This record gives sequence, structure tokens and C-alpha cells, in this order.
Amino acid sequence: MSNEHTVKSYEEELQHLTDSVIKMGSLTETQLVDSMDAIIKVDKDSIDKIIKSDEEINKFRSKIDTQIMTLLVKRAPMAIDLRETISSLKISQDLERIGDLSKSNAKKVKPLPLDLPEELLSNLKRLGDLVIKQLNDVIDSYVNKNFDKAKDVWEKDEQVDDLTYIAMESVIEFLSKDKKNLDFSTHLIFATKNLERAGDHITNIAESICYLIKGEYLKGNRPKGKVIQE
Amino acid sequence: MSDIKIKSKNLNVYYGNKQALFDVNLDLNEKEVTALIGPSGCGKSTFIRCINRMNDVIDICKVTGNIEIDGIEINSKELDVVSLRERVGMVFQKPNPFPKSIYDNISYGPKIHGKGESKNELDEIVENSLRKAALWEEVKDRLNEPGTGLSGGQQQRLCIARAISVNPEVILMDEPCSALDPIATAKIEELIDELKKTYTIVIVTHSMAQAVRVSQKTGFFHLGKLIEVGKTEKIFKNPDNKMTQDYITGRFG
Repeated sequence: MSNEHTVKSYEEELQHLTDSVIKMGSLTETQLVDSMDAIIKVDKDSIDKIIKSDEEINKFRSKIDTQIMTLLVKRAPMAIDLRETISSLKISQDLERIGDLSKSNAKKVKPLPLDLPEELLSNLKRLGDLVIKQLNDVIDSYVNKNFDKAKDVWEKDEQVDDLTYIAMESVIEFLSKDKKNLDFSTHLIFATKNLERAGDHITNIAESICYLIKGEYLKGNRPKGKVIQE
Repeated sequence: MSDIKIKSKNLNVYYGNKQALFDVNLDLNEKEVTALIGPSGCGKSTFIRCINRMNDVIDICKVTGNIEIDGIEINSKELDVVSLRERVGMVFQKPNPFPKSIYDNISYGPKIHGKGESKNELDEIVENSLRKAALWEEVKDRLNEPGTGLSGGQQQRLCIARAISVNPEVILMDEPCSALDPIATAKIEELIDELKKTYTIVIVTHSMAQAVRVSQKTGFFHLGKLIEVGKTEKIFKNPDNKMTQDYITGRFG
């Protein structure tokens, strides 16, 4: 652990930046949980609330941008402080994108029928639960500056890929049973893909955290699971 | 990989009973800029003063260990200090032109080192030196005016021109921009970029941002010890030593 800065206000500015990223992470996680709930329960009443919460996340992104610009101009951060500042910028971008994907998923609830097959929902839920856990873990690794935990998240994206494949298969199976299912199945395919992309943003965050802590990027290719052909 | 121009091995410097440098081992690459950083009194200026034996003039100063330039030990008694200083020029914190004309400031060194025997040769040296120091265009019409009449930034470039007039191999700069405004500083930094194509440069600076901008290698000194040395980018992005990190991030106690 590093000593405190001689200039107290610098210390505070860096702490405020970290706090903003943590708060933004927490909001993003809540939004992801809510959008998953809305899909699984086909809860159309919660859609507006989820869309609204995305505005809050976007505001955080702007706030963090301003904080970073101020830090760069005022302090010309070096070494660990520079990495903290740059990583926060990258993490906030990824969180914002995850927010956009959750919002997009919430919008997909509208056309869904209330009687979706149990197996399809359970496969989607398994994927959603894992992505939520990944986000929770990555934010936790940021809070505690835990390199091993961040690397663990990075490696576990392989499981997200696998569950995406399984969920996608059950959606396609559902679609192939009856052409009437085509319309909302398409929405479910996009929702599944969105979850997989959220997983990719989470691994980006994990990479940023690893760089922040050790000053080196993770070496080698991230393990990949079964991948849906684009 | 650059060639090593200057090599210090187990260098110790004492001022009377006080030890100022402790076993400094530092290699400086040819035609590269090395920045030395560290808090006041850490030994960085003492170190560069060893490279042209400026410490010889201090009676109580004792130097042990080695400094080699191109593999030749410079601390040997047989070495001619005047010819060493011809090879190793120095620029100080405060611009210190001689109380002479701009022309004489530059021609003085070559004259005492027996260079430029004719007026034409001297004229050429003066012009070339001032051009290399990016000052020629500003002073070419007033070479006979006193050097002390120039602005601070111009005076510092005059001192750089004076240092390079004897065609040295190494230029030592001890906080060359600390008395200059940002524009004059930028001109000196631009000049350093240009000069490193020809000379090996060692710069002592308190400005971390300047060290990042001008140097390829950085050494961090603390209490007379070289704590860490490495590629500048590495030192300022991800230093290995916690003391280096605390210093460059402003966490020093």
C-alpha cells in the first residue's frame, strides 16, 4: 500500500474518482440485475424504470470524465496514480456500455409472451446470473485492488461463452418449433448476445484492473468457450 | 541497444566527513539523454560534477571508485582535466555568460583550447555553435553586444552554444531550465532533442514532467544512493522501487 500524497487535496481527488467508479459499478450492477429479472419474469412494468436508470449511469460517466480531465490537468499523475486515472477512464467506458446493453435488454421484454418455456428461461437465467456474478466480482476486485480476483474473472469469461451457446441453442430450438415464435425469439437472441457482450466488457474491466495493479497487461489470449457463429 | 558512453563503478564521494554518494553504479548511453531526479541533496548534482571532475576544485572533496568515459578512467592523476572538460561541457542552473560580447562568449573556449586559429575559422565556429543552440537567427546582427543583455532563455542557449563550441562529446546540464519561463524552457527542451543526435546528455532536473519529456533513461537518487535506474517510460509508468514511486507521485514524507 502506498503512502498518502503530500498534497491532501490530490489524495482526495483520487479517492473521489475511485468512489465514483465504485458507485457507477454498483448502479450498473443493479440495472443488470433488474433487466435480467424483467426478462425472466416477463415483467413489463419495470421497463421504464430500467431505461431511466441508464440516464443515471451516463451521468456518472460524464462526471468521471470531468474528474479525470481535472486530475490530468492539475496533477499530471505519474506511475500508480496515472494507471489509476487511465484505468478509471476505461472502466467507466465499459460500465457505460454494460448499462446500454441492460437498457437494450429491458426494451426487449415488451414484445415477449408471458408463457415462455421453462427450460429456455432457466438457460437464460443461468447465463444472466453468471454475468451478474462476474460484474459483482470485478467491481469487488477493483474495490480491494485484488489482482487474482480480477484475473479469475477474466478467465471465467469462458463459462459465459459456454452458457451463451446453451441459451442461444434453446432460443433457436424454441423458434424452430413454431414460426409464430419468430418475432420475440429474435429479441431473445439479441438479449442473449447482449449478455455475452456485457461479459466481454467485464473482462475488459478485469484487464484494466490487472494493469492498474501491476502495470502490465495480462499476457496471452483470454480462454474462450464455445462461440456462436456471427 | 545503445553503446555505453559513461560508466560509473562503485562511485563514492565525500565532502570532509560527510559522504555524498554511496557506491553508485550507473551506465549512461551514448547519444541519449539521461535524466537524474531526486530530492534536494540526494547527490544527483554531485554525480554529474564527477563526470567532468568539477569536484576537484573543492579541497575537502574525496572521490573513490571509477568513472570511465569510452572505457578510460577519468579519475587518474595523469588525466589532463582541461582536455576532459573540453570533452565534457556543462550548463548550469543559472545562465552565466561571461561579461563579454556574444561573439567572445562563444569564441573564448575554442581559443583557449587552440581551435579556430584564424578569424574565419572562429567566425565559423561561432556561427555553427549558435545555430546548433538555435540562437543564431536571434543574435546574428548583434554579435558584438554583451551576452548578459540577452533574455534569460537566450542567455541559457548562449551558454549551451558556448559549451558546444569546443565540440564536446558529453553535455552535463544541471537544472538548465529552473530559472526560465515555459516558452524558454520549451526551446531548451526542443534543443536537447536536437543535440542528443550528436552528444550524450545528462540532465539534472526537479521537474518530473521535464524528465519524462526529454530523457530516454532516468535515474532516481535518494540520500546519496542510486535507488533505481531504467527506461524513462518504465520509471514513470511502473517503477520497480516503492521509494521511486513515492517520490514521483508526490508521496515522499
